[in-house]
Amino acid sequence: MDFKFTEEQELLRQNMREFAEANVDPIAAEIDENSRHPAELFQKLAAGDWMGIPIPVEYGGAGADYLTHALVVEELSRSCSSTGFTVSIHVGIACMLVLLFGNEEQKKKFLTPMAKGEKLGAFVLTEPGAGTDVMAATTTAVLDGNDYVLNGVKTFTSNGPTGDNYFVFAWTDKEAGRKGMSCFVVPKGTPGMQAGEHFKKMGLRSSQTSEMLFKDCRVPKENLLGKEGAGLAMAMTGFDHGRIGIAAQSLGIIQAALDESIKWSKERVQFGKPISRQQAIAWMIADMAMDLDAGRFLAYRAAWMKDQGLTFSKEAAMAKLFAAEAAMKHTTKAVQIHGGYGYVKGAKVERLFRDAKITEIYEGTSEAQRMVISGNVLR
Amino acid sequence: MPDIIVCFKWVIDEAYIRTGSSGALDFRSVNYKLSDYDRNAIEAAVRLKEECGGTVTAVTVGTPGATKGLKDALSRGPDKACFVNDQSFDNLEPSQTAAILTDVIKGRLEYDLIICGEGSSDLYAQQVGPRLAEALGIPCVSFVQKLSIDGNRIIAERKVEEGINIMAAQLPALVTVVPDINNPRIPGVKDTLMASKKEVISVTADDLPATYEPALQTVSMTAASMERNCITFPADQAGIQAFVEALAKEGVLR
Amino acid sequence: MAGIWIFAESLEQTKELLSIGSTLASKLGTMTSVFLQGNTGVADDYIACGADEVLVLTALAEDQPLDAYIPVIAAEAQTADPDIFLIAATVRGKDIAARLAARLKTGLCSECIGLKADENDRTIEMERFAYGGAAIQTVVCSTRPVMVTIIPRTFEAAARQSDRKGTIRELPAAPPSASTVLERKPKETEAKDISESRIVVCAGRGIEKKEDLSLVQELAAALGGEIGCTRPISEESHWLPEDLCIGISGISVKPALYIGLGVSGQVQHITGIRDAKVICAVNKDENAPIFGASDYGIVGDLYDVAPKLSDAVKNMKG
Repeated sequence: MDFKFTEEQELLRQNMREFAEANVDPIAAEIDENSRHPAELFQKLAAGDWMGIPIPVEYGGAGADYLTHALVVEELSRSCSSTGFTVSIHVGIACMLVLLFGNEEQKKKFLTPMAKGEKLGAFVLTEPGAGTDVMAATTTAVLDGNDYVLNGVKTFTSNGPTGDNYFVFAWTDKEAGRKGMSCFVVPKGTPGMQAGEHFKKMGLRSSQTSEMLFKDCRVPKENLLGKEGAGLAMAMTGFDHGRIGIAAQSLGIIQAALDESIKWSKERVQFGKPISRQQAIAWMIADMAMDLDAGRFLAYRAAWMKDQGLTFSKEAAMAKLFAAEAAMKHTTKAVQIHGGYGYVKGAKVERLFRDAKITEIYEGTSEAQRMVISGNVLR
Repeated sequence: MPDIIVCFKWVIDEAYIRTGSSGALDFRSVNYKLSDYDRNAIEAAVRLKEECGGTVTAVTVGTPGATKGLKDALSRGPDKACFVNDQSFDNLEPSQTAAILTDVIKGRLEYDLIICGEGSSDLYAQQVGPRLAEALGIPCVSFVQKLSIDGNRIIAERKVEEGINIMAAQLPALVTVVPDINNPRIPGVKDTLMASKKEVISVTADDLPATYEPALQTVSMTAASMERNCITFPADQAGIQAFVEALAKEGVLR
Repeated sequence: MAGIWIFAESLEQTKELLSIGSTLASKLGTMTSVFLQGNTGVADDYIACGADEVLVLTALAEDQPLDAYIPVIAAEAQTADPDIFLIAATVRGKDIAARLAARLKTGLCSECIGLKADENDRTIEMERFAYGGAAIQTVVCSTRPVMVTIIPRTFEAAARQSDRKGTIRELPAAPPSASTVLERKPKETEAKDISESRIVVCAGRGIEKKEDLSLVQELAAALGGEIGCTRPISEESHWLPEDLCIGISGISVKPALYIGLGVSGQVQHITGIRDAKVICAVNKDENAPIFGASDYGIVGDLYDVAPKLSDAVKNMKG
């Protein structure tokens, strides 16, 4: 067993840390407060090729491995998990869907500008009545001449109002059940597709989320991604990739909670000594450090399996579930360590606490992860 | 279109050095880094290349294990590297490093300009650049905060105690640069991945014409300690009063 | 003729090196020679302060840099074979020292902070900082001459003694130099020189906004001192000029009293305050390294402590 990163992985992690300290830390609180999408930051990320790390160079990516992508999402999320998530879903789901299922022309047309960071991808699956129960979706796509005509309402679309390429899932044959859903690439500005207002959220506030409305939205046949009816399986594959990113995002949150807790507990004096010397506090920090490492082993293993070409669906679900629940647990502890000072706006742990919750919900709730894991082990 | 050589050193990151209870330095958990000032040197070389064309060759002297340092340096923009490595090239003192660089550069590398950091962030002796210039017999302008090429000469702003001296020197020449000269770029993903594909000329002790004996011997390296009272007071009124009284007793409140 | 050689840019620096040089000379039973640039008026002064020989360098042309003297000094050294060569560690001094060491094929201890000669075997042990000030490296030199640069104001200047005699000798003019000075610009900022201040209050990273520097200024005013800062305040935030930046990359201070407000105490900074008589710190992190380098400290938020401290000082002074 080899626990060593390559020199490139180590250097890229360090470089992202430096990048985040210089470009993300100074704006993280502001973009959270204002629910602002920092376009200027994404331009810088694009310039450094951070927006398409595991995508081959011929399609505009950097041609590195998936583990490097995960390390970068982790370091980015340590400074701002909204930004880390935006990169994660853009690369892990949107770019990967085209890379894995797109034809050559689609890779050139849709993947290349996305992997270069010139265009942002959005994943359009969830509906008001269809969350974990994907089959309850009602959005339809009907072939009419050379176009599919999309009708329906989607919600909680990440990068909703800010995306350029929308990956929309709709029924082409409802009767076919699990083999009746298809995936379409709908470029921004396509008549009939309209983004709703950016939701005001508890956390992850600078990541843009909205409803997406489709009313007689005509999409050319060439924009069908993969085979007709393969959409649901593709969405699940997308989730497998995306979940490694959410695990990495959660790890970044835990690392930040640990950083803040160590710093604060050494400074905060109560009963005549720093609270870090109170066992109650020291043990919280010990648990935080341990779960951070445990989560890393799960997440890096899943990414490594992906890079080896192995099946990693169960491992990605385990990594995402463990890291997300650890992030929620330890950001709660981090606020506890900070006491009242962690409950006020401006405290980084306050933001971490709010940002952590979503990791247990999106790209499959913790319950959905347990379904994936148990489905695998009980098979 | 100048051919530029930039020298760099892969050093212990001093942030990871711990002091043991006996006062001895503990190097067990250290990490290595590109010497801080050498980042500025590489950036200065690469910017000149972007402006004037030409080539940039990064040269380092060290032990064979410093391959990560080569990639780090090459990810910052040089075209190729020259890796002068040998197990014996550990803990070299400046006169040895300069002598080795001299023999390597004389025999193998074309140059119009050599750029070094003002000093290394481990020993900070600030000697290798000036010594190298002397050995090569070329003009030297050290502690430069602004640099440009004007035809066949350099124009360099040198930071001195009383202000700035604007200097001119004919190429080929050597400059050492201070951190004010630029804000080094953070390499992107492709820069880092491309680094290992760039040409690296490897030179070992066997390829060099001499053996390099140190002129300075390090007798000891110990933790810098300051013997101070280390008395702390709480931040309440009584603590502040006691603090001020302690200062008065020392006779420093006059 | 062997001996202790001294080269510095100014009268003050030369006298400082003379105090070290004379001590070494008497210990090793040799003499001291001092280089003098142009102005021969101070030759007698140098002799009174301990020089046995003054070597007068011919004044340079307007566009010649100081390093134009390198060939003249090197030629002289090759004939005279000095034992030890002390040079003031100014920007130009450090450059000249390294290049002379290369020409003379000898070792150089840069920015020496202490040196000790052994009377019996005549070895010189020299101490200097390494790893950003975290370590002290002790070196010996096995080649001749032993070359050393010394940061100005590290040692006391030599005092004049009566009835000292010495010789004065003129050296040949410097040849044309390889680099030229096109222009000499004085410093634009008019920051105070705090390197000799009696009391220094230092602003560290704990200061959150530029306006809050008033807390530092108030305490400095109450104490009758000057303000300085750490690198982040001058180089990153640009709230204060870099002339006030204390540390290995800035200036060194040696006040009777130093108080750091919100200074964490990285070695690079501590190196610059090592010679303060009393070091004090206010920091909310009890584990901040500055407390390990301090005589007296207050563990608390500087925003709370600094105003109270200013008041307490005013009351104490009446």
